[in-house]
Amino acid sequence: MATMTSSSDARRSSVATSMAGIKTHVATGLNPARISIRNLDFFYGDNRALKAIDLDLPERQVTGMIGPSGCGKSTLLRVLNRMYDLYPNQRATGKVTMDGENIIDPDLDLNSLRSRIGMVFQKPTPFPMSIYDNIAFGIKLHEKLSKSEMDERVEWSLTRSALWGEVKDRLSTSAQGLSGGQQQRLCIARTIAVRPEVILLDEPTSALDPISTLKVEELIDELKSDFTIAIVTHNMQQAARCADQVAFFYLGEMVEVASAAQLFTSPKQKRTQEYITGRFG
Amino acid sequence: MQQARRTASRGANLGDFVFASLTRIAGVFVLVLLGAIIVTLFIGGLPAFEKFGVGFLTSTDWDPVQEVYGAAVPVFGTVVTAVLALIVSVPLAFGIAFYLTELAPQWLRRPVGTAIELLAAVPSIIYGMWGFFVIVPIMAQYIQPAVIDSVGELPLIGPLFGGPAFGTGILTAALILAVMIIPFIAATMRDVFLTVPPVFKESAYGLGCTTWEVMRSIVIPYTRTSVVGGIMLGLGRALGETMAVTFVIGNTNRIATTLFGPGNTIASLVALEFPESQSGSLKLSALLALGFILFVISFIVLAISRVLLRPRLKV
Repeated sequence: MATMTSSSDARRSSVATSMAGIKTHVATGLNPARISIRNLDFFYGDNRALKAIDLDLPERQVTGMIGPSGCGKSTLLRVLNRMYDLYPNQRATGKVTMDGENIIDPDLDLNSLRSRIGMVFQKPTPFPMSIYDNIAFGIKLHEKLSKSEMDERVEWSLTRSALWGEVKDRLSTSAQGLSGGQQQRLCIARTIAVRPEVILLDEPTSALDPISTLKVEELIDELKSDFTIAIVTHNMQQAARCADQVAFFYLGEMVEVASAAQLFTSPKQKRTQEYITGRFG
Repeated sequence: MQQARRTASRGANLGDFVFASLTRIAGVFVLVLLGAIIVTLFIGGLPAFEKFGVGFLTSTDWDPVQEVYGAAVPVFGTVVTAVLALIVSVPLAFGIAFYLTELAPQWLRRPVGTAIELLAAVPSIIYGMWGFFVIVPIMAQYIQPAVIDSVGELPLIGPLFGGPAFGTGILTAALILAVMIIPFIAATMRDVFLTVPPVFKESAYGLGCTTWEVMRSIVIPYTRTSVVGGIMLGLGRALGETMAVTFVIGNTNRIATTLFGPGNTIASLVALEFPESQSGSLKLSALLALGFILFVISFIVLAISRVLLRPRLKV
């Protein structure tokens, strides 16, 4: 645990120095940007799915992304951890900076990028192994821990994702025996076990029942004290509940970004207003 | 109105009944067929089993003049060639499947995949001729002399690679078998690798896995059952393969002490000797008994694969 705190402190202070002097965000109640997206275009073959996106993800806060299906919000998440690289004919242009590095630079080390930017998917994806191994799996990829350190880290991740109490007596059983909500929290635990800096959540609760949804939302609120979070959701209430900043996407464009309170109460754009009042989408 | 509906529903029930019965017949037919083959082979082989007892399995004799028959040589040849073929083919087939599903550029996947399926469709007699006219001379002139001079000099494993370089023999047969079963195993592996939901792979990549780590930790555990199934399919073909092996194994009733030595397999011995055995003769019975033993070997292989595949984790 001690190492945990010191490393996140170090991270915080390094960000603090690099961001020193930037005061523009203070008025909006948002922290300085952890990831800056500038003029980002994305193409599936010839189809331009994202058009000149400019967006900042504030440090240790939650950015919600809303918009009708096919508007590009999931695509944007897949750019941030370069998941699109797995598929041919998908490419991004523009600039996405984190710590001065351009994330979409083809020469970037993807494995280390993905250990810094974790992702949780719409459907829970427990690996075909035990609960313990599901968590330990990602850690083993990047760190060499002793058995006791590993036990500690697994417990930390599961506690942090509000699952420890439910699974601590069955860590060696298959993760596929958990309920859907537990599986999703396991996936979140697995993601934070690697201790990323940013967590991307792609509709994390759309396959869950209301109670599990509530638990995951509480968890998101908990986690933002340590992690920068981006969440794609179809549920505007969820965005309002979880997010500090909300971005509205439509047909590959980012129409508007504002604090959750502002976007949902007094949107500046007509299309945003029409969407949040349910006139389309 | 109600009457009509009732009739219609009875009609549907009748259809269901007929269909269920037909499928039940089809299912039972498989059992009957399997049972009939086993029983026929066993009854046919009974005189040989009675005459030689358990010694039939351990005896290396095959003497039609004295009417003394033993199964040890062909059983040994069958198992050794099949296992060697698996050792050669599984890594190659895995490499092919891995390359085709994860690494190959999109435009190459289809042609190579089709080529594999075509290779699987090549009749075994063609592999036999190819083996005899192409591989055997190459083995005799280049590979075997080179191996005898190099590996053959080593302690421990050296004696395995000794003997005269005839080109034919156990190893050549195993290589031909390997070539024959690679397409089966590779095609099965490729198909099952493709069934892994992309979101699982993405989750693993999302944690920072390399391609190989995704393969080892996600794809293989996820497809374990089918992968072993594919390998067993290949092994089954290798155990029972007749023509291709007959061409290149040397057809000698001797337990080879080196991999270059000639030998025999159950299937190739049966194919060669069958035409010369009179009905009712002890030789024919011995051949049928060999068939029964081949059946049992296949059965054991299947049982082992089942044991290997039992679920390791409690759900």
